[in-house]
Amino acid sequence: MIRLTIDDREITVPEGTMVVDAAQELGIDVPIYCYHQALGPLGACRICLVQVEKMPKLVTACTTAVQEGMVVHTRGSAVDKGRQGVLEFLLINHPLDCPVCDKGGECFLQDYTFQYGSAAGRYDEPKIHKLKDAAINEFIIIDQERCVLCQRCVRFMGEYVGEEQLLLEGRGVETVVSTVSHQPMDSQFSGNVIDLCPVGALLSIPYRYKARPWNLERAESVCPHCPVACTTSVTSREGHVIRVEGRPIPGHDWGWLCDRGRFGYDFGYVEDRLLNAWLDGEITSAAESTRTIGSWLNDTLEQHGGDSVAFLVGGQQTMEEAYQIRRFADEVVGTSKVAVSRSVKGYLPLGLNGTFEDLDRADTIVYLGQDPYDAVPVVHLKVRDRYRDNPGLKVIGIGAYDLTRSTVPGDAFVLEPGEEAAFLAYTLAKVAASNPIIARLGEELGDFSPTFKGAKSEQEVETLGRQLLESEHLVLLWDGKDPHMESVLLALRGLREDVTAVLPTFGPANWRGFERAGIAVDYDRLEAFVEEAIQGKIHLLFSIGADLLRDYPDRERAKAALAAIDRVVSVGLFFPEQRELYHAVIPGAGWSEVDGTYTNMEGRMQVAKATVQPPGQSRPVRTYLGSWAHALKKSFVLEPEWDPFDHNAGDLIAKDALPEVQSVPKPARPAMKDGALRLVGTALVMEGGMPSEILQPRIPKYPGRISLADASRLGIGEPGGELGLRGQQGMISVMVAVDERIPQGVLVLPYGVVGSPLNQLGDGAVVEAVSLEEVSLR
Amino acid sequence: MLEGVKAIGKAMGTTFKALTEPRDTIAYPEKRREYAPRFRGKHMLARDEDGHELCVGCGLCEAVCPAQAIRVVAAEAPTDKPVSWTNRYSVDYEVDLIRCIFCGMCEEACPTNAVRLTPFNELAAFNRLDMIADKEELLSPPVRR
Ligand code: SF4
Ligand code: SF4
Ligand code: SF4
Ligand code: SF4
Ligand code: FES
Repeated sequence: MIRLTIDDREITVPEGTMVVDAAQELGIDVPIYCYHQALGPLGACRICLVQVEKMPKLVTACTTAVQEGMVVHTRGSAVDKGRQGVLEFLLINHPLDCPVCDKGGECFLQDYTFQYGSAAGRYDEPKIHKLKDAAINEFIIIDQERCVLCQRCVRFMGEYVGEEQLLLEGRGVETVVSTVSHQPMDSQFSGNVIDLCPVGALLSIPYRYKARPWNLERAESVCPHCPVACTTSVTSREGHVIRVEGRPIPGHDWGWLCDRGRFGYDFGYVEDRLLNAWLDGEITSAAESTRTIGSWLNDTLEQHGGDSVAFLVGGQQTMEEAYQIRRFADEVVGTSKVAVSRSVKGYLPLGLNGTFEDLDRADTIVYLGQDPYDAVPVVHLKVRDRYRDNPGLKVIGIGAYDLTRSTVPGDAFVLEPGEEAAFLAYTLAKVAASNPIIARLGEELGDFSPTFKGAKSEQEVETLGRQLLESEHLVLLWDGKDPHMESVLLALRGLREDVTAVLPTFGPANWRGFERAGIAVDYDRLEAFVEEAIQGKIHLLFSIGADLLRDYPDRERAKAALAAIDRVVSVGLFFPEQRELYHAVIPGAGWSEVDGTYTNMEGRMQVAKATVQPPGQSRPVRTYLGSWAHALKKSFVLEPEWDPFDHNAGDLIAKDALPEVQSVPKPARPAMKDGALRLVGTALVMEGGMPSEILQPRIPKYPGRISLADASRLGIGEPGGELGLRGQQGMISVMVAVDERIPQGVLVLPYGVVGSPLNQLGDGAVVEAVSLEEVSLR
Repeated sequence: MLEGVKAIGKAMGTTFKALTEPRDTIAYPEKRREYAPRFRGKHMLARDEDGHELCVGCGLCEAVCPAQAIRVVAAEAPTDKPVSWTNRYSVDYEVDLIRCIFCGMCEEACPTNAVRLTPFNELAAFNRLDMIADKEELLSPPVRR
């Protein structure tokens, strides 16, 4: 620890701290442009000048490490004069067009000029003109004249994300920021440069000219689009959400967002947003629909009893809403049939759940089934952050295709689809066969042996087994697809002495929160509900924020279930798929329209504030629950509000005991005809999420991915093409493109792609390519 | 009795004297008062010589207004059809003339000299909504007779 004095106040900080951070700790603001804690010191902009006693000249606070006994002055005439000089240089070629600049009012160039700059410039020569208002991708516009060349954006993309897409071009005063080869940036993380740019050089296109800092409102929120639930700040003006920014939490989170989270906020305003109540295909008033549904509920309860009513909850609800739904089911309706609509079958015991801090300490990170870059993008960034700190980080991808990528290089084990759990059980048996837990795990495996696409020797499998057992801090990111993986993870935890943390990368986004609210989230619950529905035991269904047809792994079964229920009521932001299966569809309110708590993949509860009113006739779920209770002449008091937080455990949900290890069955390998493909489903935030007009240009036109060999065999060229597929359960057509990470014989398709429902054919199904005419004739 | 006549005579004297004195009121609206050249009345939005609006929708007038009487909504103009002299302009510009205290701060804050307070002060309406001057109205300011 080092002791120093800043502005006559003493502080003790760890060795290696920069003066600017030490000052920050004392609450002393030193102006900065180029410095950012995540990026490290650079010393390019010189605005952070401070005076250090016994040093002959002013020094930059962001590149000067603290030293014992240092005496720093962050203000004073010498410092102010220095900063004034720096600002004068920065402003020489600045266009001074603040009135038309979106950063105006929250710009560090304005702020520091106001604080330290001189009132008038002395430079009379004509200014150098550069590119203005040029789009560098679908979402970001650059104004090179306003740039102060701090290089934050360039360094963020190149050094931090590892995708070199921005660079400095030219020399001296002619230097500009530009994209590599003048190609649009396509990184998943491009939007972060808007937050990073201290001036108005990089600006958001969808936010362009929409508001000024003095006529907008900012509310703390969390991103609703994937289980990471990044912390955000939502900007609204006149009752409209117009921007989402990252919200850094000092010491905990940098506040990075992916482009889905940053720009996908307009789902509440797209054309498809439900604004009216529909009864049997006709628009009605909200009052009429609530009354009718209330009478349905009354009739069903009288004729068939409480157990004939079921509730299905989808991913968008808050924890409080889930709690209210469960209480309504319990106390008013008297049914225990509350299920969560899910796409994958796995469940992760809370005791295994790790946190993002585990990623910060990990020495080995294993991706199981899914590449976090596409599914939970900011987790990829956290892994990359760890890799930057610890280049010795071991990353292992285990799945049906190569899950690693160049930004965080790793070792890929490419298996037959759906064999990850069996492979891991097999691997562990190789290195610790004598262990009783491993023996239990492998009881039913029989003669299973993995086949690898791309050579892997027995040696390598053994090394993997040892890494899994012996690494010091193991983190596994699991896609939740194979329910047997749970036992493998439990066994790993049981065997290992050091930390074993698992992060579930599967949705729905708030499932852990539903669990805390008292709704069982396991897949068996959903399966039991579907089965009972098909058998005609359910007479009334409330589907709240859920879309069974879209989520459930078997579309035909989901259809049969819904068709067998007398009355199906949907509450949500959009029409569910095949709305003719629903008898009433009423508009719900969602993210940014209701206050509430969401739990992320760490099991961390975070509060999101409402900023706008629900549009049209849409109302929060609690309003509907209240009126239905009223229709039954029962009292349903929502006050006092339930507080999801346990004040002893903080914002993490308290852990419970772990279940027993079960054996992993031998996976069945379906017979593959020549030229057949196996479908592999995956959750992707861009392709599979909610509708968004802003994101539309970025959402890939070809969501399906196949190998180069298959593509050339099937005549799919650049940039991609349409492919007809026939499986046992039907036919679909998908837009596919080549991805070199996919092995031959595999077709990867995201869940929830409109028009190409993966669950029509089934995840893991064997399909063959057929002509498009055949599909259209189906 | 005499006292009474005296009093009436005195009063009438005052009345007749006042009849010939110069008047403090004017016969509005036939006659109108001369105002100071910098009198601050209703707002206007100015255009440049080419007919382009000067307002770029920066919202500084909105920010400075102590009465929160102004609302500005900016937008990007289509490249081939500029509205103001840059590609940013105000789609909505409203002044609530009931809230306004005619301080002139908006005029002072405007970087493009777009919003100006004219001498026009004949502000009356039958309902509150009519007292909110929209952009259309402000772009064609009435002239004070
Ligand atoms: S564009 Fe912004 S972030 Fe990038 S170098 Fe210029 S000022 Fe810095
Ligand atoms: S990673 Fe997930 S939670 Fe974070 S911004 Fe992206 S979509 Fe939202
Ligand atoms: S004159 Fe004053 S009160 Fe009236 S709109 Fe302008 S700034 Fe506001
Ligand atoms: S009138 Fe002037 S200050 Fe107001 S928005 Fe227009 S340009 Fe800006
Ligand atoms: S912030 Fe220190 S030199 Fe830029």
